Amino acid sequence: MKSASIRRIALLLCLMMVFSVLGGCASKPATTPTGTPAATETIKFGFLGAKTGPVANYGIPGEKGMKMAIDELNAKGGILGKKVEGIYEDNKGESSEIANITTKYITKDKVVALIGDPTTGGTKVAADICQKNKVVILSAGATGAGVVEIGDFVFRNTLLDTVAAPAVVDWMINTKGWKKLAVITSGNNGYSTALTPIFKQAILAKGGTIVLEENINDGETDFTAQVTKLKNAGADALVFTGYYTEAALIMNEAKKKGLNITMVGGDGLYGQDLAKLGGEAVQEKVIFYAGFSTDQPTAETAKFLENYRKIYNEDPDMFSAQYYDAVMLLAKAMETAKSADPSVFKNELAKMQNYPGVSGATSFGANREPIKSPVCLLTVKGEKFPALLEKIPVK
Amino acid sequence: MFWEQLLNGLTLGSSYALIALGYTMVYGIIQLINFAHGEVYMFGAFVGLFLVTAGINIVVAMLGAMLFCMLLGVLIERIAYRPLRGKSSRLSALISAIGVSIFLSTLMVLYRGPNTTRYPEMLGGSSFQLGSLQVSTLQVIILFIAALLMVVLELTIKKTRMGKAMRACSQDLEASQLMGINVNRIISMTFAIGSALAAAGGVMVGIYYNAVWPYMGTMAGLKAFAAAVLGGIGPVPGAMIGSLSPGVWGIMGVAYLSSSYKDAIAFAILILVLIIRPQGLMGQKISKKV
Repeated sequence: MKSASIRRIALLLCLMMVFSVLGGCASKPATTPTGTPAATETIKFGFLGAKTGPVANYGIPGEKGMKMAIDELNAKGGILGKKVEGIYEDNKGESSEIANITTKYITKDKVVALIGDPTTGGTKVAADICQKNKVVILSAGATGAGVVEIGDFVFRNTLLDTVAAPAVVDWMINTKGWKKLAVITSGNNGYSTALTPIFKQAILAKGGTIVLEENINDGETDFTAQVTKLKNAGADALVFTGYYTEAALIMNEAKKKGLNITMVGGDGLYGQDLAKLGGEAVQEKVIFYAGFSTDQPTAETAKFLENYRKIYNEDPDMFSAQYYDAVMLLAKAMETAKSADPSVFKNELAKMQNYPGVSGATSFGANREPIKSPVCLLTVKGEKFPALLEKIPVK
Repeated sequence: MFWEQLLNGLTLGSSYALIALGYTMVYGIIQLINFAHGEVYMFGAFVGLFLVTAGINIVVAMLGAMLFCMLLGVLIERIAYRPLRGKSSRLSALISAIGVSIFLSTLMVLYRGPNTTRYPEMLGGSSFQLGSLQVSTLQVIILFIAALLMVVLELTIKKTRMGKAMRACSQDLEASQLMGINVNRIISMTFAIGSALAAAGGVMVGIYYNAVWPYMGTMAGLKAFAAAVLGGIGPVPGAMIGSLSPGVWGIMGVAYLSSSYKDAIAFAILILVLIIRPQGLMGQKISKKV
């Protein structure tokens, strides 16, 4: 979710959002209606995500998770005795499509909630429309800033950096005893410059010290100067907030300079290329966090894994798990509120505490931001990528 | 730490130098900034990678990459520059060069995708202690090969007939032609030699940083070009000294000032030098007709 192209797409989506707001009234839904007439005896959920195009990687597993959840609900008698129906349009990751499809879901299909979009940019486009029409939107992928601030109908169930980074820093300082830390930021990478302050604040708050702060740029290969400084700084561990390519190159350089240090970072390090580029140098030496791992499952996750593999013949990823959880969270909120009216059940959703989902336990804070626990620490271990190192609880 | 950083800077600088030589030689003879040169360097790195992954010995692979890029350089000159020479302005050739540069890098993206590829580890990832200084074997090998290639080049230019012809061409193309020098052949040779050096630089950088990608030539080419200007376009030692400086300054900037301004420091010094010595560090002051 954090690859450079996605960021660019998110930016593009934001830009296009402006245009879609300007000219949105004239636009007509481009997709053909699914044909089911609006009926009061079914509860409808709209799927937001791309099934084709550059961000289809997030949408396709998301749809699978959502379908599976809805089938399971219907097998148990639906929600409030009503049948549940999912509607799955392909928004191609384009914001004009997202706006059209969101409008179609609300006005034509009369959905009570939308699930998605997996990208922050896409979620913002849809959230504006949902908020105006008083329909709940629960994003199963957006991690960027400024999402739930759009309004009280807007939710997400993702692991946020502001939740994960402090938990990871706590683990580094109190479990591992790495108190003297070096921080490297990629200066031309927006994700990295946003994540660094979160890490730095957490390090200082938890009693650690920052012995060295360095900058690199995405696209550079020469990190000899920074690594030489790092070697002389006497740090216990290195926090790197950028992407996997530079992470691998830094670790290569460290190995060459005979520096044995562990690198810790965010899910920007989550990429197959980390293992491919880093080779020996990253083996069990690069640790990054993510919200989902198929290793060491809880009872709920184990059941989900088994069923998912049975149906789709493949392993679920974070998106399938989060879309699945999103459906179940909405169902739980509706059951508790005894109502399928978005204006009513959204209050129950906002009060949800420690919901045992398949992607971890979900709570919503006072600001409606999700707090997910545990955080999965992943690493590169032999041929396996990613390999689960440890699951740490979030307080 | 100072000596270690100095060594880092020298290694980086010597890789720029190998690219800068190609710029400076071509510019010296036909006054063309060959913007495709960075891409030749990238191709050199990739050809080296293909040969190495095919199980060929690294020395042979490097020679293979140099040979391939020699042909590539000659081909670029033949297709993209020669038809324009004499018939249109120098600016057309420059635009043509930019076109070739874009063509080559996108060709590689088409073939390999835009991602960074790992270069297999070789020549040992080992390092040894020299007093308090830790030196990696690779750095020493790179410095040695770069120096060797530059000495060979300098000897070629100073001591051989072809070198003499090249020097003549750089002084006056038309007069050289009148003296019976096959100018086209000399220009082809210049491209061939420059491209081979860039290829050697590409393979060494690939090994050194364990990474190659299709756009690696753009920034490296730009820095090498700046280095060539800094050294004073034309003389070979100028390109060498010119190139070492941005490498060393960039690294020292990170080491003692701030890593946010690595390139900014290197280029600021470049501007400063050019204000004080517009002809470059080793360049000669000659009034030229433009």
